[in-house]
Amino acid sequence: MIQQGHLQPPPLTCDDVRELAAPFVLGALDTAEDDAVRAHLATCSDAHAEIAELAGVLPVLDGSAPQMEPPASLKVRLMAAAAADLASRTPVAASRAATTAPLVFPTASQREARAAARGRPAMGSWAVRVAAVLAIALLGGWNLLLQGQLTEARTYEQNVAAVLDIAGRPGSLTAVLTAEGGDGPSGLAAVGDDGAVTLAMRALAPTSGAQVYEAWVIGGDGTPVPLGGFQVGPTGTAFFEGGGLPADAGIVLALTLEPGPGATSPTLPIVSLGTASAAG
Amino acid sequence: MSEPTMSLPLRIATVADDADQAVLERIATGELHALDELYERYKTMAYSIAYRITNDATLAEDVVQDAFLGAWRNAERYITGRGSVKTWLLSIVHHRAIDAVRRRRPTTELPEREEIPPAQLRVPDVWSQVSANLDAETVRAALAVLSDVQREAIELAYFGGLTQQEVAERTDTPLGTVKSRMRLGLLAMRRVLTQDEPARDDGTSMTGREAQTP
Repeated sequence: MIQQGHLQPPPLTCDDVRELAAPFVLGALDTAEDDAVRAHLATCSDAHAEIAELAGVLPVLDGSAPQMEPPASLKVRLMAAAAADLASRTPVAASRAATTAPLVFPTASQREARAAARGRPAMGSWAVRVAAVLAIALLGGWNLLLQGQLTEARTYEQNVAAVLDIAGRPGSLTAVLTAEGGDGPSGLAAVGDDGAVTLAMRALAPTSGAQVYEAWVIGGDGTPVPLGGFQVGPTGTAFFEGGGLPADAGIVLALTLEPGPGATSPTLPIVSLGTASAAG
Repeated sequence: MSEPTMSLPLRIATVADDADQAVLERIATGELHALDELYERYKTMAYSIAYRITNDATLAEDVVQDAFLGAWRNAERYITGRGSVKTWLLSIVHHRAIDAVRRRRPTTELPEREEIPPAQLRVPDVWSQVSANLDAETVRAALAVLSDVQREAIELAYFGGLTQQEVAERTDTPLGTVKSRMRLGLLAMRRVLTQDEPARDDGTSMTGREAQTP
């Protein structure tokens, strides 16, 4: 609060810390006080057993919070973020991760080597992009594998690998497509600087009869432009290639289910949606 | 670790503790499935705490995600400490939730917190046994020993994210009294958990007995 003036308060004594023990374990110290207590504990030879004793009561407080279930989409987000973190670790860690992950994708170092072969200079931003893309790829394959859908997992893996190939090229954009609310059809799209788009999707409901999934691009003027349609079999995965897109960051890619091919305006609801960005 | 200073039975390893430790070791090697397991085990507790503090579903989700990610990233450094995994995880949830509600207030500046607690904060394993066996009845009984002013001070801090100074201002109470209420309230609850002393503190002890100027 009004502690702005003294950034360097005197170190706390053991007695100070004992006095602050209760507010400390309750999280009721301001940042400066909290730091001071931690600094003292880090170097103090006293065990300060009173802190653990008081902290041992916290489960009672935790247990008094009314029970609430998180939405299922939170787990998807968490696992995606963890996979992204895994992919962004050092090449050594990433390759180790690749051996423990159920599906093996190119390691960061392998992809860097490929990028270098293509003459891409900006390695740093490339690494970031690979991390993001790899994370989505890992997550998709991993979820499928958990469900025991091996064939589908392999198909999706191949589709994603094809998308990754375009995503790795200079000047390309990537988009992660997700269903509203997080659960449902999801996938990955890459838009090359030549306007070619590739899209790998999973968890789509199979089409029946003349039904098609239509891919749309929504540019700056807000008008959806159809890119083409595709049908989906029982595996629920799909791979789509199209062209003629503006390679502008910010364009939106969307998927709708249409009664037949050749739709000129989308039938709502949107099945899955994502915004293209230069991840690097 | 240090010798037990409390009159609690020595720890008998509970299944949950050892399983948590094993999961954390797998997390430290970057195994996503292990994180999945830890999440399934504690998602309800974590989300309940986060929601109780933030009172906001979106914010609570962000807090829980951040906390599990923090555990994911710091597992390798934490396992050597051998504290209770559950306590550590839930304390990260608590810290992040408090940070989130303080950020909504204009006055506070918040540095990123170190995820690895000081050794003294690693709750001894004896306590994980106590907390693992906490049922609704014990929670009720422990909370019931608090006087109204103790409960107010503790809840404003722990669930409201108020600092002790803010609790003092909000309740129009001297800072030293606030500290005493917090300390005596926690100690009273602890006596219920250890059941080695009469459960009920004498009702007058919260009145600023050791009030001190800050």
